[in-house]
Amino acid sequence: MNKKNNVLSKFNNQKFIVLLVVIALFIFFSIMSPNFRKYTTVLSILDYSYYIILMAIGVTFPLITGGVDLSIGTGLICYSLAGGYLIVHCGWPTWAGMLVSVLFGVLIGLLNGCLVSLMNLPPFLATLCTCMITRGLGSLCSKGFGIPWPTAGTEGSWFRNIFKITVGETKYPIGFIWMILLVIVMGFVLNHTKIGRYTIAIGSNKEAAMLSGINVKFYHTMAYVISGFFAGLAAIAYSAVFATVQPGSGAGFELEAIGGAIIGGVSASGGVGSISGSLIGVFVICLLKTGLPYIGLQANWQQIITGLVLIGAVLVDILKKKKAVK
Amino acid sequence: MKKKVLALLTSVALVATMLTACGSESAGSKGSGDLNFEIIVKSYQSSYWQAAVTGVNQKAGELGVKVNCTGPNAESDIADQVNMLNNAINNKPDGIGLAACDQDACLDSLQTAMDAGIPVVCFDSGIPNAPAGSVLSTVATDNYAAGATAADNLYAALKDTIASATAPVRVGEVNQEATSESITSRGLGFIDKFTELAKADGKSVAVIGNEYFVNNCKEAGSEADADIIIEVAVPAQTTVELCATAAATILNKDDTIGMFGSNQVAAEGILSANENLGVLGTTPGETILAAGFDAGSVIKSAIKGGTMYGAVTQSPLAMGQTTVETLYKIANGEKVSDIPTQGYWYNADNMEDASIAPNLYD
Repeated sequence: MNKKNNVLSKFNNQKFIVLLVVIALFIFFSIMSPNFRKYTTVLSILDYSYYIILMAIGVTFPLITGGVDLSIGTGLICYSLAGGYLIVHCGWPTWAGMLVSVLFGVLIGLLNGCLVSLMNLPPFLATLCTCMITRGLGSLCSKGFGIPWPTAGTEGSWFRNIFKITVGETKYPIGFIWMILLVIVMGFVLNHTKIGRYTIAIGSNKEAAMLSGINVKFYHTMAYVISGFFAGLAAIAYSAVFATVQPGSGAGFELEAIGGAIIGGVSASGGVGSISGSLIGVFVICLLKTGLPYIGLQANWQQIITGLVLIGAVLVDILKKKKAVK
Repeated sequence: MKKKVLALLTSVALVATMLTACGSESAGSKGSGDLNFEIIVKSYQSSYWQAAVTGVNQKAGELGVKVNCTGPNAESDIADQVNMLNNAINNKPDGIGLAACDQDACLDSLQTAMDAGIPVVCFDSGIPNAPAGSVLSTVATDNYAAGATAADNLYAALKDTIASATAPVRVGEVNQEATSESITSRGLGFIDKFTELAKADGKSVAVIGNEYFVNNCKEAGSEADADIIIEVAVPAQTTVELCATAAATILNKDDTIGMFGSNQVAAEGILSANENLGVLGTTPGETILAAGFDAGSVIKSAIKGGTMYGAVTQSPLAMGQTTVETLYKIANGEKVSDIPTQGYWYNADNMEDASIAPNLYD
């Protein structure tokens, strides 16, 4: 009896439904386009998903507090430009440039956290401001130049092998293993550690969390620091996959990560969410982005369809809440 | 209440920082009797524009004039650029150099500039429908011809493959947008020239994909009975990762034999996509031959390493210099006309030539 209930509750679980959607989308595109069902397509989808997954893992924390972090997209480019500039133009070793990218992310995350939790700026406004700031800072860091991180085969390009290794003629997307490990670790952090539990508590009811003695300001700030940290990691993933990083780009990346998290079951009003859900949600976005051109739909249609899918996900969230109230 | 005041103060501080940042950029105010030009580039996204700005500053230093260079963050930020143009006009400079992101968005502003007596020189991209008399000179590569140059060279390499093909073959084209004169002309120049060459060899061609290019090329043909399909992709934004996704879609098709990326961003997108696909090379028939546009370290090393077949380069440095020189001439009452600059084909063989190497910026 108990077992049956478990199975049933799985079917009610948004995560599980979204996983089915991912599988269905993959089958749909595979049937519709013979060119889609290739190993290289899977490789591309994974390659182009890492930076969005990393951002989504991070942004899940501010989202669960009932806030949002809009600075991760332009931030990613900014951190990557800063790290890349040091490597390419100042002769720093690759690892040092990578470290700078991550620390820069943590720093901007800390700024976001302080603006939101200490100065009580609405998260939307605070991170919108840091979004603009990082967009400009990125151009400043690289003096306006696009930065090509060391290309494959040249000195210092070992970081590209973090996400993809070539054995013989075949390339293996090992980055996916790191993503799964990170999802497991951060899932544990969210559900079984103080930081995670308090993040959820703040999102469910901030007043209650404060009254029960939780240092709300600290843990609220930490949610944004985590988001910034992962934006820093995403910067490395982005630099490893693409040939160049251009100043001025990055706006809109955050929406793919936030959209993915919300599709994956993070409540738009806070308090509910999971890291694994965000991972699966991102794949809906990535599959649509890669798959729709294969069935001949132009760029504008991709955006419209992704938007419609998001509306669907938010509606599901609202319906669930209504049901819970009843 | 205290918190609200604090929040307000923070916002004010942020806005103040932004304003001071803006202020320092336009610090080049009018000196006593000095000439003062406003230069607006399409963006600072690629080293192409860096080279152009370097040219502008070099010439300005030589002639002893003041220049103020601005440009939007991305080449798709059309509204931002129009805003910058309007601000430039309000500053009442002695002349404006403009590389327009959009052929039509600037028309009203150009009228305003003309009414205010400010001469405008267009560079990189022309504005064909500009109000008569508003644009005194256009310093630009004949982009249509430059696109055709790419088609000429790519077709020559693919000629045998096309002749011996038993089934329809596909040639892809990635354009970062379909709004600027330079990109659309190059794209159409490539399509029209490729079609012309193929037809001369008795092959039929169909153009499919982005509506702008399908509707504006000389002959779109029909896909059903075509020997060669030219597929045009335009991403939603001018970024490398979206160009890469668009390029991967075409590169992944079994019948694709050639590829053209009409600027630095598009060409780098094709190369990014190839990272996983590994289908590009210089052997016609076995690998896909890709032609790019412009230079930059990524494209240069791809051509040197045999991943990219070749590319067309312009001379942004000279373009920047000529723009300032032309504005200077206008300010001194000289008559000027349009100045076409050239596009050069380069590949692994002639990269080091004295006529090519100076145009291959990093």
